[in-house]
Amino acid sequence: MMVIIAIVIGCVIGAIIGLNIPIIPYSASGYLAIAIVAALDSVFGGITSILNKNFDMKIFLSGFFVNAILAMLLTFLGEKLNVDIYLAAVVVFVGRMFLNLALIRRYCIDKLSSKKDTNSKKVNEEI
Amino acid sequence: MNKNKLVMVIVVCAVSAIFFTVIFAQFKTVEETDVTGIRTAREEELQTMLSEYKTKYEEMEEKLTDTQNRIEEYEKMITTNENDSELLEEELQQTNMLVGKTDVVGEGVIVTLTDNQEKSIEPSDLRTLINELKLAGAEAISINDKRVLNMTEIVEVNGGTILVNTERVTSPYVVKAIGDKTYLSSALSLKNSGFIDTTNKVGKSAQMKAENKVEINAYNSDKKQLSFKYAKEVEE
Repeated sequence: MMVIIAIVIGCVIGAIIGLNIPIIPYSASGYLAIAIVAALDSVFGGITSILNKNFDMKIFLSGFFVNAILAMLLTFLGEKLNVDIYLAAVVVFVGRMFLNLALIRRYCIDKLSSKKDTNSKKVNEEI
Repeated sequence: MNKNKLVMVIVVCAVSAIFFTVIFAQFKTVEETDVTGIRTAREEELQTMLSEYKTKYEEMEEKLTDTQNRIEEYEKMITTNENDSELLEEELQQTNMLVGKTDVVGEGVIVTLTDNQEKSIEPSDLRTLINELKLAGAEAISINDKRVLNMTEIVEVNGGTILVNTERVTSPYVVKAIGDKTYLSSALSLKNSGFIDTTNKVGKSAQMKAENKVEINAYNSDKKQLSFKYAKEVEE
């Protein structure tokens, strides 16, 4: 419960800061976008691991930051080589995001259906 | 355990704060990029653009000063040309009037000499008259509308034919002269020694009229061209 509250507070603070800081140079915004995608991937991965009950804070944090930084470095390298490497990064991260989302969806559906079952069981028992 | 949980909460809070900061900053950047292309451009790009514009500006300024200088020069030339041409035109007019290439008008006298039964007018009479008119300050003279210039001859050929400017003139000889009409008329009409008196004394008829408006035509002889063939200006 505390963790959820902490996340919400963090989101609000981040939104306020993000809306008030000066505009980032356009050329840097490409790196930032790829970093955001990588971080989102980490977040979904973390959620999935929580649902699978094998969440590790260290892995989550390292994945969160290192993935973002690596993605940015790759993008930089791609710009220097004149190859759009960030496209590959985007494909990989978004693909993994979809995978994780699918896992989350399955988990939710399983839980819902099991709840229904228990509910119907309860109803049956009451009857 | 409790401490671990607190640390975890703080870490999660910080991570989500960083995450959302970045996300919203990116949103803002993307949203405003189209509107403020220059503001979000990289500093290097801006510098190169600035230097390009500076060089362009300098070139343009150079061109501008060049053009302005040229315009000034042209204006100067125009004014000097105008002055020159005005002076030249004035001089030309003066010279034309002196040479007798223009029609002139002004106060003066008209002397009419006519042959009568006893005596006819001789070219020497005309020459005397013209010399006297010149002495009295006549500026333009003509005999029967033949302009008298410094090249004009008044001669008798074949006994009786008088030529002026190689053209034949006959009685009555109308001699027009422009000048101070009182001077001219008094010079001609002196008692005993004046031209009119002396001419009338020998039995030739001569009349003189002073007029306010005497018109004398330009030199217009085709036979005798006003040009120099042999005389050349001495170069200094």
